[in-house]
Formats: sequence, structure tokens, C-alpha cells
Amino acid sequence: MSSSSSKRHSILPPISQSGPKPPVQFSSSITIADSALLTGSNPILISSESVIHPRARLDSLSGRITIGRRCIIHERSTLGAVGTSGRITDKAVALGDYVTVEVGASIEAGDTVIGDGTTIGVGAKVGAGAVVGRNCTITARSEIKAGEVVEDNVVVYSNGMRRVDRRGVAELRNKGQARQIGVLRMMIPSNPAKFQ
Amino acid sequence: MAPLTPYTYIQCPCSDASTLGRQADSNSPRSPDDDELDDRAFDPRAPRSNYSLYPLDYLNYCEDCQQIRCPRCVAEEIVTYFCPNCLFEVPSSNLKSEGNRCTRSCFQCPICIGPLSVTSIESPPDPSLLAAPDGAPAPHSGPYILTCSYCNWSSTEIGIKFDKSNSIHAQLVKLNNGGTTRLTAKEHRERRKEASQDRLAGPPSALAAAASNGGENNEELDLETQFANLKSFYQSQLADAAPGGSGLSSLNDLGFSSPTSLSRIMSLYTGGTVHNSRNKSRTGTMREALISDEGLQIASLDESAAIQHLHSIDYSETITTEQSTNQPPHLGEVHPHGTSRFASSLRPIPYLLRTKRSKRCPVCRHIISKPEAKVATTRFRIKLVASAYIPTITIRPLNIPSSSTPGTLPPLQPSQFILTFQNPRFETINVTLATPAKTPGRFSSKVTVLCPQFEIDANTDVWDEALKDTSDKTKLRRRGAAGDDGTHQAEAGKIWERGRNWVSIVVEVVPASLRLDLLEATAKEDEDVLEIPMFVRVEWEVDVGGDDVGTAPSRDKEQTEERELAYWCVLGLGRVGQA
Ligand SMILES: [Zn+2]
Ligand SMILES: [Zn+2]
Ligand SMILES: [Zn+2]
Ligand SMILES: [Zn+2]
Repeated sequence: MSSSSSKRHSILPPISQSGPKPPVQFSSSITIADSALLTGSNPILISSESVIHPRARLDSLSGRITIGRRCIIHERSTLGAVGTSGRITDKAVALGDYVTVEVGASIEAGDTVIGDGTTIGVGAKVGAGAVVGRNCTITARSEIKAGEVVEDNVVVYSNGMRRVDRRGVAELRNKGQARQIGVLRMMIPSNPAKFQ
Repeated sequence: MAPLTPYTYIQCPCSDASTLGRQADSNSPRSPDDDELDDRAFDPRAPRSNYSLYPLDYLNYCEDCQQIRCPRCVAEEIVTYFCPNCLFEVPSSNLKSEGNRCTRSCFQCPICIGPLSVTSIESPPDPSLLAAPDGAPAPHSGPYILTCSYCNWSSTEIGIKFDKSNSIHAQLVKLNNGGTTRLTAKEHRERRKEASQDRLAGPPSALAAAASNGGENNEELDLETQFANLKSFYQSQLADAAPGGSGLSSLNDLGFSSPTSLSRIMSLYTGGTVHNSRNKSRTGTMREALISDEGLQIASLDESAAIQHLHSIDYSETITTEQSTNQPPHLGEVHPHGTSRFASSLRPIPYLLRTKRSKRCPVCRHIISKPEAKVATTRFRIKLVASAYIPTITIRPLNIPSSSTPGTLPPLQPSQFILTFQNPRFETINVTLATPAKTPGRFSSKVTVLCPQFEIDANTDVWDEALKDTSDKTKLRRRGAAGDDGTHQAEAGKIWERGRNWVSIVVEVVPASLRLDLLEATAKEDEDVLEIPMFVRVEWEVDVGGDDVGTAPSRDKEQTEERELAYWCVLGLGRVGQA
């Protein structure tokens, strides 16, 4: 929390806020780190209780970015990366509720939709225009090609193999997510004012 | 094409029949015949060479035979069996009874082979539990399942839950997919006995039920029951028939008065004829199993149910060959003909045990590598690696004319490489090199070793070297240098550079043009790689101490003794480009 005197500093050089400041629409209950990077010219919407980690990059250059409730966007992940298609659409990326985008994951812009309760694993890549269903798990380093459709409750693992998750733990997962957000809010100093 | 990193492979003498004979008396002085054997050039492209060339790091060295030993020619002995997951050391006596898999709680995911973890599942919606602070599941909260944290598989998919969180293996053996308890062969028999008793005593309706259920000839048996039935059936037949000769299965009727013993004694005294004819008649009386009680299992070739199921599911729900072969045999399984093809029936895979092994020299039986028996330690008690005995050879390009394709050697133009030999021994060694003037193969390149004979100083203490007089050191270095360092030229008969325990020499190659052979449309795989066979002979002197029992006793006139080691190696220099 801000009360702690010794702050942890990154050894990386500070990111320069280049380009225009995108118009933002934040819920009052979000947590957004000071060093998150928001660029682009289209609006960025973040709904209640979502957490944006330091150095997460939200790029609305090619369209609007919408983040649902209680989402966690981890460090160095990219939302709205202009992929190979370079398409410019109205909605670049839309995340449902309870979505987790883990470290280094990238979601390309172009009507890309991630359903509620889905986890995008470490270093995973979701191509432009892909539609990922609800409660899916995209395991670490997996890749969803542009325009692909992933049904609800599907696990994508091991170089694109797919299987249906039959555990039925979506409710539990969401509760865990809520608890995690509770902890993160205490650990990440939030500075939404910087982006407004 | 990816540029090739220069490499050195060493030939193990085990692949060459002519060297095998020499090992027995390797200490005796070499006769001229041996040198003739050495003259036969080694062809790195010969199909046999694939099995005898190793990087130096793969090789061991037998101190007693003074010879290189490769993974193919060492004899291995198992030191320890252990589970790679829980690192539990399994006594070898347990292997026979319990098999080669971990029998604790270590399992791999049947879908993705990731490790499975035991987790408790919260008993069906318990609001008080969820409302608890932090919602952590209370300890000992009931049924446990195996879950994969990578692909999200869980044992609930095959309907299996466990009562205890430990000894999962023992619990799993007793469970069929779907969670039903598997009956052991003994229980099967008891159940059958009850049924037959019912049949005798009960009303006619029970009799009919029993007949349709247990009395049928084709009852489905699991593997264990089938085996037990077959075994008891044939054992009873053996006991009935009391076969002569090998009647060990019927130990109970061993006695002088028993008919078996009598017939055996008879056959002993009357020659083989009686015995044989009797035996023939006996085999005629053995019959095969006819009903499931006796272990007969008729293959169920009706696959309509599987086909029906296939219609209703996705391709991803069928199993891959790999998943199928990874499946451990399950004793509760119905006959192998019924082996499922669906992911919904895959069972967790208990971890296969691993071993730690020691290695012995095949010739003198001395141990050349022995790991610490404890599973958790990575140390070795004995480890005689070749790199501690024979010089390391590293290749570095010196002077390569520019080529049309970057990273390749231009054909028909001389390229120079620096070979650096590093001496790991604490004795000064003499190295003699020999290469064929032209490399073997369809495209033969010219090879010249500018300095085929040189001496490398001992591998002394690094600090000794550092403290030495610097002027002395500079004198030692750059012996091959002509004049000042700026015009450092490779010269025939002179070494290129010298250091504490290393010497560099120059090798010049003139690669052949691959285009010479235009008749054959394309070069074979890797035929453009320039490989030079090189014969290395290392000689050194050792002090002959009294404790050295194995060495030649005949020459005790001197304090030192000549030793030598000779072997073929292959230098891979690079790819030859197009002219
Ligand atoms: Zn060998
Ligand atoms: Zn284990
Ligand atoms: Zn798995
Ligand atoms: Zn030996």
C-alpha cells in the first residue's frame, strides 16, 4: 500500500507515454497501476473492480477496448495489438467479466471477443477477430489464430489441442478471482487520475 | 541453410573389431602390425560410423584398459529404482510384486501427461463453507480427486473420487471407471458360489436369473479374473492328469506311493518308451477352456455401441495413439478387445520408475561410473569421463575466402582452420595427427595438417602459470609467429599458438566442388558437410609406482613408462557452398 515507505522499483527504464492520450471511461472501483500504458485514439472502457497491472499495454489505436467486471490484466500483456491484419474496427477488443490475461499474453485488435471467466495464459496469443467463449482456458504459449472460434468451456493446450473442461468450477473460479482482486487492490497503488 | 557449427566426434574403439583384440594387452609394447591396422583410413560416412562416433562429453574412459568407452559398449547395472515424482526409492524386491510404477500417489494426466495433484472437492454446495473467511476448504473435507493444472482434466471425468488423500494408487486399483468397486477374482468366485447355492436352494425364479447372469458361457471377465480362472482351470487339469516328468505343479502327491512317482520311477527304469507313450495319451486328455468359469473369453466384435458413441462426440474426444500406449494396464479392464478409444475412459497413469545406473568396462569389469545411491543426490562416487584423459579438440575458422552463400566454405579454394588441443592430463603429452590427403566419399576434399606432431604441456595449476616469469611465457607463446604479430602466418611444421596446457595448429582444406557430379541430380543428405577423419595418437610418460598393480611388471628398470592412446576422430568443419 501507499503507506509502505520502501517502494519496489523496476529496473526497466520508465515507459514514455507517447502518442495521444486515449479517452477513457473508468469505473470508480478499478485498480490501475501508474505505469500501465494506455495509448490510441479510441475509447478505453474498464468496468468495476478490474485490475490493470503495471506495464500492461492497452492500445486503442484500431478501435474501442472494453474490459468487463473483475478482470485481471497482468504485466506486459497487450490488449489491442495491431496484428498482421491491421484491421481497424469499431470494437478492437472486448473482454467479458472475470477474464484473466496473464503475463506477456497478447490479444490482437479487430473485433476480438473474450468470453466471461476465460483465462488467457502466460505468453498466449489471440489473433485478430478470434472469438473465445466463456470459461475457456488458453494455456501458456498457446495461440488462437485470427478469426478462430473457441467454444465455451474449451481448454486449448499443447500446440492447439482442444478439450472440453468438465470440471464445472466456473463459480469457484470467479470467487477465487474476486478474492485475488481483493489482495491485488492492496498491493497495486492505483492511479486512475493519470489516465483521465 | 543453417550454418554448421564445427564439431569433433570421437570413434569408440568398440566398433572396430581389430582394436578389440588389442585391449587385452594394451600395456605391452606395440608391434609394427598394429600400426598397419591403424593405417586403414576411417570413413566417417560409412553407415557403421553412425553408431561409433560420439562427442567427447558422451564418452567414458577405463583407467585399467586405458581405452575409450562409449555408451554402447559399457555394461550397465541398476543402482537404485525411484519414482521421478516423489523421489521415493523403491526396493528392487518390490518391483516383482508391485511392478515398475510408483505405487504411492504419483500420477500423470492421461490427456497431457502433466503431473496430477490430489485436491479435495468441496461437498455439494455448502453455503457455510463458501461464506467462510477466505473460503479455504476445510481440512479433511471429504472426497478427493486428481486434477491436472495444465489441461484441466480431473478424475471426476471418469467418475472416480477417493476417500483418502494418501495411497491413491491402492484406491485406484480397486475402482473401475465410474466409481464402481472392482471385484477381485476371489470375490468373483465367492459371489458365484453364492449364486449357485441360491440356484440349488432357491425358488425357480432365482434359478432362471442366476442362469442368465452367472451361468452364461460368455460372462464378461476383467483381466485379473480371466487370468485367475484360466490358471485354476489348467492347474486342476494338471493335477487330474498328473503328467509325468514335469509334475512339479502337483507337489502334494509327491511320495513313493503316489501314482505319479511310480510312473516316473517306471519310466526311469524302462527307458523312454513307456514314458513317451504315456505322455502322449496324457496330452490328449487335456482340454481347453470352454466357459468363462474356466477362463474362456469370447472376443466381443460387436462395435456398434462404439460407433454409436462416435456419432455423438467430437473428434477431440477420441484418444490418440500416444495416449493409448501411455495407458497402464488396468486389471479391472474388460478383455483387451474392449479397450476404449474414447478420452472419457482414460485412467490416470502412475509414474514409471526411473533408475540410477552404474557402468562397468566391458573388458576388465572395472566400474567406470557409479552414482551415489541416494536418489536426491546428483553426485557420483566414481566417474571416469574421457574428457579428463584425452585432449579436447576445438575448431575455429582462421581464414575462409568469401563464399556466394554466407556461412559455407567456397569450393576449390583453400580455407584454414585452427585446431586447439587442450591437455587435461598432469603429464606432458605428445600428439601425432594423421589424416588422409583426400577425404573419403564422392566429393573428396584435400586436407593438409600444417603441423602433425607437437607436444602439449601438462595441465598444471593455473596459479603456477600465472606466477611464472612473464618473459618466459611470451617466449613460449606464438612460436609459430613469423616476425611481429601483425603478419602472423600459418607455416608448415610449426604450431600456431601455445598456452599453459594447449596448442593450436592450422589445418588447410580445399573443399571439392559439389558440381562435379551433375549426373546425380542432388547431393545426398549432408553430403555437403566437410568431414575430415583424423587419427590422433597421444603419448605420455607416467611414473610407475609400486601401488600400480595392474601395469606391466616386466619393465621395472626405469621409473617412468611410456603410455599411448590412439583413436580416430571426425572433424566437421562446415558446409561446402556452391561454386
Ligand atoms: Zn564403445
Ligand atoms: Zn511417486
Ligand atoms: Zn492434463
Ligand atoms: Zn577396462
